[in-house]
Amino acid sequence: MSIINVENLTKTYVTYKRGSGFRETVKSFFKREQVLINAVENISFHIEEGEICGILGPNGAGKSTTVKMLCGALYPTSGSIDVMGYSPTAERTKYVNEIGAVFGQRSQLIWDIPPIDSFHMNKAIYGISDGDFRERLHELTELFEVTEIMQKPTRVLSLGERMKCEFIMAMLHRPKIVFLDEPTIGLDVIAKTKIRDFIKQVNQNGTTFILTTHDLEDVKQLARHVVIINHGSKVFDNTLHNLQSNLGEKKIVELTLKEPCADSILENVKVIGRKSPLELTLEIDMSDIAIGDFIENLSRMLSFSDISVKELPMEEIITQIYSEDSDAGKKQTKVLHGNNLYS
Amino acid sequence: MKKYMIIYRECAKISLSRMTAYRLDFVLSMIITLAGNVMFPLITVLIYNSGASFPGWSFYEVLLIQSVFTLSGGLSSMMLGGVLWTTMDHIREGSFEIVLLKPVNPLFFLIASNFEPESFGLLVGGGVLFGIAVSQTGIVSFAAFLQFLMLFAAGFAVMAGISLIMAATSFKWVGNSRIPEIFDSIKTFGKYPVTIFPKAVKSAATFLIPVSMIGFYPASALLGRLIPGTLLAMIPCVLFLLFGIWLYHYMIKLYEGVGG
Repeated sequence: MSIINVENLTKTYVTYKRGSGFRETVKSFFKREQVLINAVENISFHIEEGEICGILGPNGAGKSTTVKMLCGALYPTSGSIDVMGYSPTAERTKYVNEIGAVFGQRSQLIWDIPPIDSFHMNKAIYGISDGDFRERLHELTELFEVTEIMQKPTRVLSLGERMKCEFIMAMLHRPKIVFLDEPTIGLDVIAKTKIRDFIKQVNQNGTTFILTTHDLEDVKQLARHVVIINHGSKVFDNTLHNLQSNLGEKKIVELTLKEPCADSILENVKVIGRKSPLELTLEIDMSDIAIGDFIENLSRMLSFSDISVKELPMEEIITQIYSEDSDAGKKQTKVLHGNNLYS
Repeated sequence: MKKYMIIYRECAKISLSRMTAYRLDFVLSMIITLAGNVMFPLITVLIYNSGASFPGWSFYEVLLIQSVFTLSGGLSSMMLGGVLWTTMDHIREGSFEIVLLKPVNPLFFLIASNFEPESFGLLVGGGVLFGIAVSQTGIVSFAAFLQFLMLFAAGFAVMAGISLIMAATSFKWVGNSRIPEIFDSIKTFGKYPVTIFPKAVKSAATFLIPVSMIGFYPASALLGRLIPGTLLAMIPCVLFLLFGIWLYHYMIKLYEGVGG
């Protein structure tokens, strides 16, 4: 049984065209042209309890609009959302008691006072008992090692320290589902690792996470289920593994040659980068040739001192999906549905 | 109910911590708020010292009206003053969703989390003026004091209604900091004895936008000069508050995109 069920979700806005330049601006002061924006168009997906689901998409794709509807902050134009048996907008107050959210670019902590005071405010709002609050706070502050910093005003904390406190704020009331909107934005490598480890640990206890991010490392490290939204429509809904093999079985091969080679030798090989005359980066499609045969052929053509074989970077996979979807128009061309989602 | 009282108490404590995080700023804000609002009764002093007056009203009776107005303003400012600016900030920055994520009524949460202790100075100033005025206008009966309390509560309902209507309009007129100016000028009518106005203005100030209930009618009750039928004038005050609450919730629904 899925914990989140979204069926044919649509959100349409009316906005106004202002035009550019002085003449258009004055004209629009008296008469404005209405523009219909289809922010989200007929999206359906299901998320299982205990999953970490990554929602990806370029800027303006409709991700945040979708997440706002899931959080109960925005009414859909049509379609339905069922989360843990609740309709988020119809039963908002009861529903949000069971969810948490961390927004990378919007703080829930109060700026001028220490995070511990904000935690006490949430304790009252969510009706957490004294014992539960003490136990939960101890658990979370130990995990994040923030026992001392949560006594300092939020405004003096570093971004990494603040994000840890944001997570604690969102999780004090033991929500079953947590929405994360760009949770690692602006953080250094160590802070990102800490946040990701925290999410994995809490997820092991059964908490479901919905992660909206542009950081593909977040997706690689955390998500098993990935949904990609573009132009308001769903263009991908499957496992991370299937996403990575979505564009065929491509690999990147980095070579360090012993001596420069003539261009004619590389005619039938796809060279995607050349750091220096001796350092080449090649792309091969393993559906055309097995990696062993490729390396054997290569060693007959070239003399090299080092070779490394890597997965195609996630960025390239995602860019290709975004651009393929743009070329095909608004409707999805590559939707892999979840019959064998975990195979 | 108990849960909401606990939430209000915690949020008020947070507001006090927030205000006193910058100690000098807090003290200066209190002094400036007090000075700005106590200036007005000083003008009444100058008017009466020059030989002019409001017909039928002595200096201390007018001072009583203005002190009650200041008390009501102080209380309303303390409890509701921050709702307008916080709403405007959230709408402008697109962060109102943070409020909608809390499992409480959003209007209640904003009121509770925007308790403004710096307006306490206004209550103190209004209280001092009230004490001076009452000491000169004679002993007040218990019945008159009860009437005063009821009408003061009705006046507070008008102040609350005005604050909520202003905050509700900020959903539509995003970033418009001129909204309070409009309502401040309307509220000014409540600082004077309503009997000096023409009949049409008197009716509007009593029944339409009942600003006369903020200072004049409660003070009249204390002076034993209550006009017959004044208690009926409490009804539009309650309706005004209910309208303000309804309008704010309606604007939240529009923000959430009800009806697409």
